[in-house]
Amino acid sequence: MAVIEIEGLRKEYTKLRGGRTVALQGLDLSVPTGGVFGFLGPNGAGKTTTIRCLLGLVRPSQGRMSLLGADVQHDLPKVIARVGSIVEAPAMFPRFSGRRNLQILARIHGEGETAIDAALDRVGLADRAGDLVKTYSLGMKQRLAIAATLLRDPALLILDEPANGLDPAGIVEVRELVRSLGAEGRTIFISSHILSEVQQTADHVAIVAKGRLITSGPVGEVLTTGGRGLLVKVADLQAARRVLTEAQIPAVPAGAALKVDVPTEQAERISRTLAEAGLFVTELRPDEVDLETVFLELTKDQGVGD
Amino acid sequence: MPLFRSEFLRARSRRLVPMVIIGGLLAIVIGLTIAAVNSSPPSQATLDQAQARYDQQFQRCMSGKYLGPRGQLPAGFASLEEFCKQNTTQYLGDIGMQLRDLPEILQGISTFVILLGALLGASLGGADWTNNTFTTLLTWEPRRIKVLLTRALVVVLVAFAVTIALQAIFSAFFWLGASTRGTTAFTPSGLWSVAGQTMLRTATVATAFALIALSIAMIGRSTVSSLGALVGYLILFEAVIAGFRPSIQGWLLVRAGIVVVSQTPILDYGRNVSYSGSNYPESTVLLSVARADAVVGIYVVVLFVLALVIFRRRDVS
Repeated sequence: MAVIEIEGLRKEYTKLRGGRTVALQGLDLSVPTGGVFGFLGPNGAGKTTTIRCLLGLVRPSQGRMSLLGADVQHDLPKVIARVGSIVEAPAMFPRFSGRRNLQILARIHGEGETAIDAALDRVGLADRAGDLVKTYSLGMKQRLAIAATLLRDPALLILDEPANGLDPAGIVEVRELVRSLGAEGRTIFISSHILSEVQQTADHVAIVAKGRLITSGPVGEVLTTGGRGLLVKVADLQAARRVLTEAQIPAVPAGAALKVDVPTEQAERISRTLAEAGLFVTELRPDEVDLETVFLELTKDQGVGD
Repeated sequence: MPLFRSEFLRARSRRLVPMVIIGGLLAIVIGLTIAAVNSSPPSQATLDQAQARYDQQFQRCMSGKYLGPRGQLPAGFASLEEFCKQNTTQYLGDIGMQLRDLPEILQGISTFVILLGALLGASLGGADWTNNTFTTLLTWEPRRIKVLLTRALVVVLVAFAVTIALQAIFSAFFWLGASTRGTTAFTPSGLWSVAGQTMLRTATVATAFALIALSIAMIGRSTVSSLGALVGYLILFEAVIAGFRPSIQGWLLVRAGIVVVSQTPILDYGRNVSYSGSNYPESTVLLSVARADAVVGIYVVVLFVLALVIFRRRDVS
């Protein structure tokens, strides 16, 4: 079952001086239950608008959305208690203490001090809970915002750019927190343009650009999007290259291996061809690139960074 | 109820609320200390002379000498005795701080109290926009009508409680000052009842202004825009532009607020009538108490409904 279902989501903003800006143009998305789902896209791709639509903050121009099986437009209040979210920067009252900020939110759903203590403890802020939020570092504010989402013990966590603006230590803190939350069986929907972060934490990803879905699926699958080929290691690279070329399989040296430009589904054919020539494969794997390369390639025609 | 508790905690935690209370208390203490220092308890002889002057003028008034050319009772007074009681106290002369002046002084400070109400409403409505915390709040409670109605209820309670408390403290200090540095003589029997009613009316108008400021803050999405729009409207429009259009004076918020607090209608002396060969101004009621109540209510309801509609429909980003 999908925890988030989006069909044909469209959002247009009317400009004050006339004209319209299209933030989302028919976005489709399905987020499976459990694990960490990376929602990737360049700035202006429509990630935050999608999240705002999902949380009822922004009214979509067209399309259908469901959260935890409930229609967002009509039944959001029924499921909101099971959804924790941070939209863009963590928004808290800077002149209230961390604990007071959590108390204000906790009271909305009748949560008491026990839940607050547990949440603060979970994000490692128990000893700073009495300090004013304005004295917190950005990483601490981010952790406080995550603590707020945990007050309700949510089944789904929606985190919008949680590593944005953090220093390396803060990024590691948030990454580990997200990982541990994902390992508890919750679904973590995490939007980001920091690709290395998502690659290290996500199980599934979706890439959007210009308000449209470009691709989505398990991280490993997306990394091989476009049939980038295979890397083959054998003892005699020269001989292997000759054999493959004779079998009409293009191969070029790539360091200590050969890069074979065929779809990954043809791995068996490579292995068999070489074995028949007496050359035994010591390593055969998809020529995976990092998510950043895939992302840039898939979005290169979509105006990255606009 | 949980949302109310959350909103109440949010309001209670705002620095502005204790600042308004402490600032108000300081103003009360400083103002009344100055008044008390400049006052001295009158001697019995002074009080007797004052009583004699007052009695004489009251009798003159009761014989109709202070009424208009046709002996008509001015609008807003139910009886000649009420009119005379209100219009002859100045003949008591300067006998220091007098407890009997309390209702009038409460009316005098009502502008300050009402502005405090507006400040509370603007801050409690605008702070979430300024801190961007409405996004957070709405991801916890997406029913926007419920959110705004609950907030309005909290604003009503806080503004009313703070303004009534400040006036009560002022009255207590004033009584103390009059008792020690002035006089409690000539105090009518129903003084505390009249003063209490004045406090309630002022707190009610202050609460209405708080709701108006809250509504504007929700529409303009900031405390500053709310206060700016409200003060700009009151000063530029009501005080300046409306001065040139007497026909709309009966629809102005400030005048309506004054009438509600004072329970004295605004009269129009613009028309002259001829009497015994001379022209005299004739008063007509421009803004009655009942109409003033309605005008304040209309401002509150229209702006709040507008804020509700806009808040419900508008994207929060």
